[in-house]
Amino acid sequence: MSDSKKMSGSGEIPFRNPGWAGNTGEFDLTEEQVRGLEYVSTRPTDGGHPAASATYPYMLTERTPDASLFQGPYLERYEKIRSRFPTAQGALLPTLNLAQEVRGHVSSDTMREVAALLGLSDAYVRGVASFYTMYNKREVGRFLIQVCTNISCNLCGGDEVLAAFLKHLGTEMGETTPDGLFTVTEVECLAACGTPTAVQINSRYFENVTPDDVPALLERLRSEVG
Amino acid sequence: MAYPYTHEKEVRVLSRGWGDPRTRTVEGWKAMGGYTALEKALGMSRQEVIEEVKVSGLRGRGGAGFPTGIKWSFMPGEKKGPHYLCCNADESEPGTFKDRELLRWTPHQLIEGCLIGAYAIQAEHVFIYCRGEFFEATQVLARAVEEAYEAGYIGKNILGSGQDIDITVFAGAGAYICGEETALMNSIEGRRGLPRVKPPFPAAVGLFGKPTTINNVETLSSIPHILNNGGSWYRQWGTEKSPGTKLFCVSGHVRRPGNYELPLGFPLEELIYDVCGGFREGRSLKAVIPGGSSVPIMSAADCEGCTLDYEGVVEKGSMLGCASVIIMDDSTNIVKQVRRMVDFYAHESCGQCTPCREGTQWLARILLRIEKGRGTAEDLDTLLELGDQMTGTTICVLSDSAAAPVASSIQKFKDDYLALIRRGEKVGAA
Ligand SMILES: Cc1cc2nc3c(=O)[nH]c(=O)nc-3n(C[C@H](O)[C@H](O)[C@H](O)COP(=O)(O)O)c2cc1C
Ligand code: SF4
Ligand code: FES
Repeated sequence: MSDSKKMSGSGEIPFRNPGWAGNTGEFDLTEEQVRGLEYVSTRPTDGGHPAASATYPYMLTERTPDASLFQGPYLERYEKIRSRFPTAQGALLPTLNLAQEVRGHVSSDTMREVAALLGLSDAYVRGVASFYTMYNKREVGRFLIQVCTNISCNLCGGDEVLAAFLKHLGTEMGETTPDGLFTVTEVECLAACGTPTAVQINSRYFENVTPDDVPALLERLRSEVG
Repeated sequence: MAYPYTHEKEVRVLSRGWGDPRTRTVEGWKAMGGYTALEKALGMSRQEVIEEVKVSGLRGRGGAGFPTGIKWSFMPGEKKGPHYLCCNADESEPGTFKDRELLRWTPHQLIEGCLIGAYAIQAEHVFIYCRGEFFEATQVLARAVEEAYEAGYIGKNILGSGQDIDITVFAGAGAYICGEETALMNSIEGRRGLPRVKPPFPAAVGLFGKPTTINNVETLSSIPHILNNGGSWYRQWGTEKSPGTKLFCVSGHVRRPGNYELPLGFPLEELIYDVCGGFREGRSLKAVIPGGSSVPIMSAADCEGCTLDYEGVVEKGSMLGCASVIIMDDSTNIVKQVRRMVDFYAHESCGQCTPCREGTQWLARILLRIEKGRGTAEDLDTLLELGDQMTGTTICVLSDSAAAPVASSIQKFKDDYLALIRRGEKVGAA
């Protein structure tokens, strides 16, 4: 373990850009440009064009666990999604995604609602939902911090980054901080292995994260929710 | 406005637009010569398009390296119902990080490739299956798809050709196994991501039971360039059997990790020491995994004279896979890293096949025991025997992939294992 420590935080990787998904400090683009937000801007809640109305397992920092699921723009979005598949079952993952996007997690009740909407059995929906790791079966912190500790990040200190998050927050893995803000977990490779350590926080990637970056990163997140 | 990781030895065909936000738009992509290949393809017969791809010798970039033109020609010529094209953007193989860049910097390159592919195999609908974690990249892709619809490149009667092709962006929900082609189809159908027994092959019975072709993001992103310039143009790079350029994802202990687009057949040592700047002060090469975590590990000796094409890497006892080169210096604890990879497979096994479900767990437990100094010399035999039983006995090759790093690392780094075992014996760890 001490082996990887030498690599992390020592500035040995010349391209460092902690805090956001850029690859390097030499990059003369803004964070919005690198993340693509400038181009995408804010996607409409109804999802826009049916082909592009894809849903994502995490999205919003604001969560409303009791929100009604398929109403207004969200119903519109669901109908667009449904129109892309020859069977109702085909829309199951996007619909579960949508539910998580709205409520922040997929509870048993949510699964039942989704099952009813698509005409599937509760047990079937539960079987599928429990297969995929991105569905939160229970509530998580407003910021779900997932640290990659797979091989490429591990070689460059992923374990230490994970430890730093846990240390600064004083939590165990998977536990939510008392203020409800943070849950830290370990995650498998995030496909950002060239910029280790990769950390996913809700929908955003943070790359080149070292243990030293952790306090500032947490501060930044705290300030985002005011 | 340069992409951060560039090197003068790179041949930037697919990655030319990276780092330039303008390429995300239809206009920007057109300014780079975009959408002319689509126009050209629509003016050709399907057979001619497939023939051009066959001439190029392009091989699938998702890992298996199967020739794309030949794969396309497996699709039934006579259409009895819907055909589908799936684009595999589930990129989850540890060490691989190229598809995300292709999605978020050059989405129209991929869209154009998908449209040409769909035309060639007579598919009216393309599903692009992005891994769920790729929120930002998927958003960019989705917006680009929307724009391409507005511009008339996707949808009904594209470019007045009479062809109808739809594209749908689909986000997964966190399962490595959904990168396996039949598991991916099950996932789009709203099922658990369980690989299917083959045959029947997807070209006969695929998505929603219909003839389906599945290609990787990088494979499809190469198509517009091949159509624009011709199959033989593509052969100016690479080797006879592995033509073209390839995105190499380099990670681990080098000074400049990153994506580098290089001709296939590029020397591995040149990649490590020249392109990626070699190691930190006082460190030297210990091991390389050349194709993502699923392929056998190589020792420093294996790397000597190794060329990075499909055949060159096989000659050295490993596989090119998706060209995800993970580089380890002499500070690396090999047993720990192998254990970490096996943990991954144990976590991601879909559980259908006993050798894989049980075997990955056993491997992980024994490796952890050795890592903690509680292993015995017999454990190595057990690991190898388990690996044998896990290879070639299951529905998909995830099981084989989990066994490969274990067997190869015991073969090549036995002293590392023995050192941990002896250390444990000496201190008498229980
Ligand atoms: C366990 C497993 C995981 C895979 N993951 C991916 C992946 O993430 N992305 C990918 O393109 N191919 C992946 N593949 C390979 C696909 O099954 C398939 O061969 C490939 O997408 C075909 O595209 P190509 O011919 O363009 O390479 C995986 C295969 C297996 C067995
Ligand atoms: S080999 Fe493993 S992952 Fe593949 S089908 Fe069997 S159990 Fe599932
Ligand atoms: S190993 Fe960490 S992102 Fe791939």
